[in-house]
Amino acid sequence: MRVAVTGTPGTGKTTASDLLEQRFAESESDFDVVHLNRVLEDEDLYTEVDADRESKIADLEALAEWLEGRDDVVVESHLAHHFDADRVAVLRCAPATLEERLLERGETAAKAQENAESEALDVILAEAVEEHGLESVYEIDTTDRSPEAVADALEAVVAGEREPSAGEVEFVGYLG
Amino acid sequence: MSQDDDKWGIAHVHASFNNTIMTVTDVTGAETIAKSSGGTAVKQNRDEASPYAAMQMAESIAEEVKAAGITGLHVHVRGPGGNLQKSPGPGAQATIRALARSGIEIGRIEDVTPVPHDGSRAPKGKGGY
Ligand SMILES: Nc1ncnc2c1ncn2[C@@H]1O[C@H](COP(=O)(O)OP(=O)(O)O)[C@@H](O)[C@H]1O
Ligand SMILES: [Mg+2]
Repeated sequence: MRVAVTGTPGTGKTTASDLLEQRFAESESDFDVVHLNRVLEDEDLYTEVDADRESKIADLEALAEWLEGRDDVVVESHLAHHFDADRVAVLRCAPATLEERLLERGETAAKAQENAESEALDVILAEAVEEHGLESVYEIDTTDRSPEAVADALEAVVAGEREPSAGEVEFVGYLG
Repeated sequence: MSQDDDKWGIAHVHASFNNTIMTVTDVTGAETIAKSSGGTAVKQNRDEASPYAAMQMAESIAEEVKAAGITGLHVHVRGPGGNLQKSPGPGAQATIRALARSGIEIGRIEDVTPVPHDGSRAPKGKGGY
């Protein structure tokens, strides 16, 4: 079983997945958490750098190869939906809140804004549905949820205790 | 109206998973000429409703735009554009077709979909539009 945890940067994937990782360790679960952005950095799995965005362009083939054969994993990254997965959790966050979270995390205003706009337009949700189908996507709104509650929702996805969902939030209002 | 009165504007089409909204500005982007309240899809039948709602929205906006003396529009599309389609999806395409049908000249169509990114991003064409 492979579960992808994706969502626009700032939706809280790493924070919730860290909690999940602790829970897996405590319960001696067979599951591991893969923080794919760290793999990309540590193994240099990118092709070039987008200078405007100060962002490395992921080598999706190399990352897919790295993931090959890893089972019982939760793969956490805003790129996670580009790879094979049995279930895809898409974390969501109201764009204005997402922008605040990113600024607080120390990102530039331009980065925070482009991500907030991506979130308002459901860019990652649409990609996840296109690549995996409505039956495999689990949308989780993190706007007013604590990291613990988000981890609970992710645990339910992993355990098969949640119904698929997509497009239940409506964020275009942010675009004015 | 004389022939050299041709006036151009920009239609900013925002096409999300289940909604399409449009704002028409002058070519500088500074002045808003018309604004839609959104072509919200009916959830139960999203893939049919989305292009239909977008089309209706475009038709009503086209009237406002023409009344303001605009004869042509460049189109900036942002977003995955409705269900299960790559950008510009059914919402955006239906919008552009409806504008053209209402007698507005369509100029350049640009895809300016934002790219989700942190220290990394997907390559263009694979997510990164
Ligand atoms: N559920 C939450 N509620 C409020 N703030 C959160 C939540 N989850 C994460 N954050 C904060 O938002 C920022 C982004 O979280 P992070 O886990 O790094 O997101 P991602 O990995 O999706 O980019 C961090 O500063 C984090 O402390
Ligand atoms: Mg992260």
